[in-house]
Amino acid sequence: MSLALLLALPFIGSVIAALLPSNARNAESTWSAAIAAAALVRVAVMFPQVRDGGVVREQIAWMPSAGLDLTIRVDGFAWMFAMLVTGIGFLVILYSRYYMSPSDPVPRFFAFLLAFMGAMLGLVTSGNLIQLVFFWELTSLTSFMLIGYWHHRADARRGARMALLVTAAGGLCLFGGALLIGRIVGSYDLDVVLGAGAQLRADPLYRPLLALVLIGAFTKSAQFPFQFWLPHAMAAPTPVSAYLHSATMVKAGVFVLARLWPVLSGTPEWFWIVGGAGLCTLLIGAYAAMFQRDLKGLLAYSTISHLGLITLLLGLDSPLAAVAAVFHIINHATFKAALFMAAGVIDHETGTRDILRLNGLFKAMPITATLAMVASAAMAGVPLLNGFLSKEMFFAETVYIASNPWVEWGLPIAATIAGIFAVVYALRFSVDIFFGEPSSDLPRKPHEPSRWMRVPIELLVLACLVVGIFPAQSIGPVLAAAANPVVGGDLPDYDLALWHGVNAPLVMSVLAMIGGALCYAWLRRQLARGRFRRAPLVGRLDGKSAFESLLARSSLVARHALEFFGTRRLQPQLFLLALLAVLAPTASMWAEGIGWGPRPRVPASPEVVAISVIGIVCAIAATWQSKYHRLAALTMLGVVGLVVCLTFVWFSAPDLALTQLVVEVVTLVLFLLGLRWLPKRAVPDDPHTPLHIRIRRARDLVLALVAGAGMAALSYAMLTRPAPQSISPFFLDQAVPGGGGANVINVMLVDFRAFDTLGEITVLGVVALTVYALLRRFRPPRESARLPRQQNASQGVATDLVHPRTTPDTLPGYMLVPAVLIRWLLPVAGMIAAYLFLRGHNEPGGGFVAGLVVAIAIVTQYLVAGAQWVEARIELNPLRWIALGLLAAVGTGAGAIVVGYPFMTTHTAHIDVPGLGVVHVPSALFLDTGIFAVVVGSTLLTLIALAHQSLRGRRLAAQDADEASAH
Amino acid sequence: MSAPSGPLMPHLIALPVLLPLVAAALLLLIHESRHRVKAAVGIAATIGNLVVATTLLVIVNAGGGPVAIGIYLPSNWAAPFGIVLAVDRVTSLMLVLTGVVSVAAALFSAGRWHRAGVHYHTLFQIQLVGVNGAFLTGDLFNLFVFFEVMLAASYGLLLHGSGTLRVRAGLKYIAFNLLASSLLLVGIAILYGVTGTLNFADIAQKIPQIPPSDRGLLHAGAAILGVAVLAKAAMWPLNFWLAAAYSAAAAPVAAVFVILTKVGVYTMLRLWTLLLSTEPGASVPFGSDALIVGGLATLFFGAIGMLASQQLRRVAGYSMIISSGTSLAVIGVGDETLIGAALFYLVGSTLASCALYLLAELIERSRAIDAAPPIREHESDRLPFRLETRDRFAEGADDEGRPGTAIPAATSFLGLSFVACALMIAGLPPLSGFVAKFAMLGALLDPATGSPTTYVAMAAMRTTLLVSLLASGLLSTIALTRAGLRHFWAPHERAPPRLRLVECAPVAALLMICASLAVYADPALRYSREAAQGLVDPARYIDSVMSATVVPAPSASRIPTSAAR
Amino acid sequence: MALAIGVLTSCGVWLVLRPRTFQVLMGLALLAYGVNLFIFSMGSLSVGAEPIIRAGVPPDLLHYTDPLPQALVLTAIVISFATTALFLVVLLASRGLTDSDHVDGEEERP
Repeated sequence: MSLALLLALPFIGSVIAALLPSNARNAESTWSAAIAAAALVRVAVMFPQVRDGGVVREQIAWMPSAGLDLTIRVDGFAWMFAMLVTGIGFLVILYSRYYMSPSDPVPRFFAFLLAFMGAMLGLVTSGNLIQLVFFWELTSLTSFMLIGYWHHRADARRGARMALLVTAAGGLCLFGGALLIGRIVGSYDLDVVLGAGAQLRADPLYRPLLALVLIGAFTKSAQFPFQFWLPHAMAAPTPVSAYLHSATMVKAGVFVLARLWPVLSGTPEWFWIVGGAGLCTLLIGAYAAMFQRDLKGLLAYSTISHLGLITLLLGLDSPLAAVAAVFHIINHATFKAALFMAAGVIDHETGTRDILRLNGLFKAMPITATLAMVASAAMAGVPLLNGFLSKEMFFAETVYIASNPWVEWGLPIAATIAGIFAVVYALRFSVDIFFGEPSSDLPRKPHEPSRWMRVPIELLVLACLVVGIFPAQSIGPVLAAAANPVVGGDLPDYDLALWHGVNAPLVMSVLAMIGGALCYAWLRRQLARGRFRRAPLVGRLDGKSAFESLLARSSLVARHALEFFGTRRLQPQLFLLALLAVLAPTASMWAEGIGWGPRPRVPASPEVVAISVIGIVCAIAATWQSKYHRLAALTMLGVVGLVVCLTFVWFSAPDLALTQLVVEVVTLVLFLLGLRWLPKRAVPDDPHTPLHIRIRRARDLVLALVAGAGMAALSYAMLTRPAPQSISPFFLDQAVPGGGGANVINVMLVDFRAFDTLGEITVLGVVALTVYALLRRFRPPRESARLPRQQNASQGVATDLVHPRTTPDTLPGYMLVPAVLIRWLLPVAGMIAAYLFLRGHNEPGGGFVAGLVVAIAIVTQYLVAGAQWVEARIELNPLRWIALGLLAAVGTGAGAIVVGYPFMTTHTAHIDVPGLGVVHVPSALFLDTGIFAVVVGSTLLTLIALAHQSLRGRRLAAQDADEASAH
Repeated sequence: MSAPSGPLMPHLIALPVLLPLVAAALLLLIHESRHRVKAAVGIAATIGNLVVATTLLVIVNAGGGPVAIGIYLPSNWAAPFGIVLAVDRVTSLMLVLTGVVSVAAALFSAGRWHRAGVHYHTLFQIQLVGVNGAFLTGDLFNLFVFFEVMLAASYGLLLHGSGTLRVRAGLKYIAFNLLASSLLLVGIAILYGVTGTLNFADIAQKIPQIPPSDRGLLHAGAAILGVAVLAKAAMWPLNFWLAAAYSAAAAPVAAVFVILTKVGVYTMLRLWTLLLSTEPGASVPFGSDALIVGGLATLFFGAIGMLASQQLRRVAGYSMIISSGTSLAVIGVGDETLIGAALFYLVGSTLASCALYLLAELIERSRAIDAAPPIREHESDRLPFRLETRDRFAEGADDEGRPGTAIPAATSFLGLSFVACALMIAGLPPLSGFVAKFAMLGALLDPATGSPTTYVAMAAMRTTLLVSLLASGLLSTIALTRAGLRHFWAPHERAPPRLRLVECAPVAALLMICASLAVYADPALRYSREAAQGLVDPARYIDSVMSATVVPAPSASRIPTSAAR
Repeated sequence: MALAIGVLTSCGVWLVLRPRTFQVLMGLALLAYGVNLFIFSMGSLSVGAEPIIRAGVPPDLLHYTDPLPQALVLTAIVISFATTALFLVVLLASRGLTDSDHVDGEEERP
């Protein structure tokens, strides 16, 4: 099968596994194992192609335009990793079949495990950097899911989140690094990048680039100073730890280091940063591991230290060291996976992982004990085991390094010390728990696990032995194939032999062994005395709590920052808006400045002056009054409106004047209706306002004045400029012939800019609907729910001719005469409306004004006669009016389409009406009808909905009264 | 109409406005008590709208050329005299996006929300009218009108279902937007006063001929206009209303509102590239660096807000702010490839935010934390004549009481969708969020895009933008992880939520689209690149708008006006 | 004229920045007047020019008023009327629901 299929296989498998029923443990495990096995076989058969420097490529076009394709590229190194991923994956699945308890929802587990396997495969086989980052983040995500598998446990949640955030952040850095590389090299393709080493190292961006890549790698494989997340990831189920945190995911970091080794290494930065970090991690990890009580904790820290060892080797800048690193990657994967599984077995059978409680398990579980001990011996680097060989190579590298004396002396010593530590924790893992007095207080009675649970461990340990004894025959070719690409083609000569004669590395090993034994003997006594509950020195600096507090603080800081940078209150927002609206133009005008034009001023006749003065005065008065004396303010507002209207008249805009007038009336009625529900404001008793209020007022005042001045200046500048090369003459030109109407403005509304008008009436309609919808839920303020005084007073008056006194209407009794009079007004208003409507196209007027007039007429009926009286007589349905109006308007436009013209094209028909002569009926007339209808409908809807609140208010009052009497 | 053919085709351009309008009118005629009919009509209309938009996109794209564009002249007057509707790649992209989001929201609301008050579907349709119109129009004042339509409808929708919370938020929202609208008017008026025309293309043509004495006024107008539009595009510090208002709104409403900020961004993009590109050298970088700085500030504000907020709806709101910030900053930089990538990003992030809003509703409902319950009306509340309709919602016909048909594995569905949304927003693989981020960062780094067509090759700005994009990704990852842990992994025993298929399907569909965007990233990116190309050199746009001819009149009832130019 | 616009605007802005909803309402109304006048003033104002096409008068801006701004103002008037009405009702609703006529729906705590 193709490589792409190989890559897709685990994902497909994971989806299917997720769909399996949650209690079918066997089905899921078998299925997953099958998938893993298939992948393993597929990878294994590739060996001949890659063994001597061969590369298998497969490319699928993904985003060629962005220079990004899905490239699967398998060389020896990638192959080796793929083998690890699939092989150990297979074993882990087998193992977890027996590890997971039936109560666990296993589908999720196996699904994520397979998904992780897929991501890891993609990571190691990816042939370009972006793809690598892609899968890198995927591994972070899937590992998050796996670590948090038992998400009812707080430590699992925390550990998972920490792992995710640390590694994902690292992934972002790696992303940046990859982008930089791509920018320098000009391509993200791995082959191109591997070819451009010199160019990269020479580039000025080399250092930032290196830093980014290294942060990525270090976070992933838990290098100092990012090592803290790994131990807490141990909250994961043990199979997960065995898979992710020994063999595969944490290796991704060193994988990237080794992958880019030929490109990035060879510079002092590389040597010092990578080597230094590796060394620190090696020592700290090993040191901390000695003091752990938790089996998995011990393994975790030892993993950290081994990863540090690999990193250090990669940092040493010598090909041989790189080979050793690759070798150790393989070895560590095998024995550490075995150890984790053993720890899982012990946990599973005894119910605890506390080393101090576990003792003398050898009697209970001899086979497991043997396996575990062999594996830990490999970890310690005991001869005849694979760990020994790579550790020897490591020692050799430290000895034969050529650098300044400090390094030449310091490195071997550090290495030996690390070796000693390794021996100590290896002994603790084996001797402490398997020998000595069998512990009696265990949660469960320990015994051997089921046969198949041991098989994976046995296989892995077998591998340790075989490699340890016959290295050249067993692992030799694989190592050669894997190391070849890492060192960039020319493999240094080394021999994988057990015995090199007595040399410095051997001496160091022996020293490590003896020292370790002594140190262990001492430490064991101390621990038995209950000292060193946590590792001295390093135990105190706890990355976890620092991280947690960092997170907590970050959200806290964010909350404060949010309060500082943002606000939920309205005033500041409006203030900012106004402020920007003032600042922005001033700033942008600064360059050119603003000048008055030469246009001759319109002579300021006394009338204009008088009008404007009145307007200004009223405006200011309205402003002044509007806090406490709303009615007065309202009146003032009305006057301002009238003044505006007069201005329109003066500057020869009759249409505007007309519209403004009627709109004024409606607005006034509206406000009056509204005011009834706005209780009177009590004047505040304390006259002196606090300081901050006064400051804010001053601030606002200044802003307001500035804004006004700005507007004045702008409009003055505009007024005094000569008319621009406007498009208006065209309209004047076309109005009669094209639009068929002499009233240019009306023609413009219904023809030139008919689309605007459509939108305009839509707005009207929407607003009416909203008002209606809102008022259905209207709840009047408590204090104003009572009837106004006048109405209460009028209860007694019994002079309504229309209704008996039992009327529940708003205004029984008085205002009778006007009522009767007004009733005659309706037809008149209708006439006027019709007149305005018909002449609209040629003279001032039109559908809008007409509609408003009718609406006003009807509303007047309401005012004087009362709602129910009117509704008893006139059958109205504003909603229908609105709907039909809109339809009429759209229909008019659509008519044009039918005739084959664009939407809203007007046509004029000339009809010879007997008696009236030729009347020309432009299609715009129908549009006007639509406008008319909508206006009537929405205005009525709004006003009536508001007016009816008084009926409701009366009802509420009645109800309150009832309740009061009930109590 | 240049590229496409067919007798009905040209009218297709106006259809995104007309179809919802007619639907709204019809919906008004249906009596309020017949919820199902109304819902059916509304959903049908939205789907139809989506179909129309898609056809437009296909046609425009097939139109070929660097800038495929279609022009429509309502009322048959040649530009600049009549109003122009223009559709090019960007427009059609936005239309399709609107269509998708609205369909999702409409479906979702059919679950229960559309009963929370009267005339929901009507308002919904009119919202569509406004949005589509704002995308389509090529005329400044017409733009204002459609903004108003859009906003008026959005007021209605925001208040849909009433309740103290909504009214309180709505008051602020309305006040703020009214002020912004009046600013918009002032800006438009100034531009008209200076250039003497309202048509985008015509203005763009006239701007070079503006005498230097008027340039100040011109810039003032542009600035005021900019402030107004940016307030709608939710740029810091004009975006405090957003999170509050949207989280107060009903879920489907909020999901539709996601598109509103995009209208602002689009307008910014259109006007900026169009009006200021033709300016002579002196004032070319006009405001662009302000735009970048503002965008970055917005980006960080959004990230901070996300980090600070616990409620999922708020998280969603801030994710929108992040996306607008990104887009604005990118517009400021103004590279072709960059804008292309940003368009791609815009699509993805819009879908993600929309899905997150819907999801938040479901999740919070499953945690039995419901938004403000509707007020019960007095039984005696009667409105006049046939206005009178009983309110089903208030009569307890809402679905908390009645068990909805529970879809299997509801919790895992919610969890997976949430993860998907988080990935989209944080820009992590494997969804299209990662692709978008990669495209943008790549474009930022690519030295080739520092082409002369852009305003300034600002290295420092680019680096800052790059870093802040990565940082915002990290911050949102943190925030979303926390939210996810709180909502899904925190141990609280509760019955698996009961979801209805009609509510889950939209979410799933949206996320599917996100995934497919990642798979078919290449065509999508190419499309958005071409769209950006059309924006960056607007010459073709201007030409095709100005050269659009009217349908000549056969009869004497009117003279062909094409001669009038 | 310009002065009037300026005064209207500043009154409007001042009121809009006030904490009381009713003040904000009045402010928006005044602002609307100001803006309408402003648009109106964009067209070259002229006293006593013809608004209606008459036969025999040459169609140019010297003899006629500039129709375009008037049309815009017409639309603007309507829209501002509508929005004002809406705001009024929302104001009432908020007053009813929150028992406060502060724009934030609650008195601010010092």
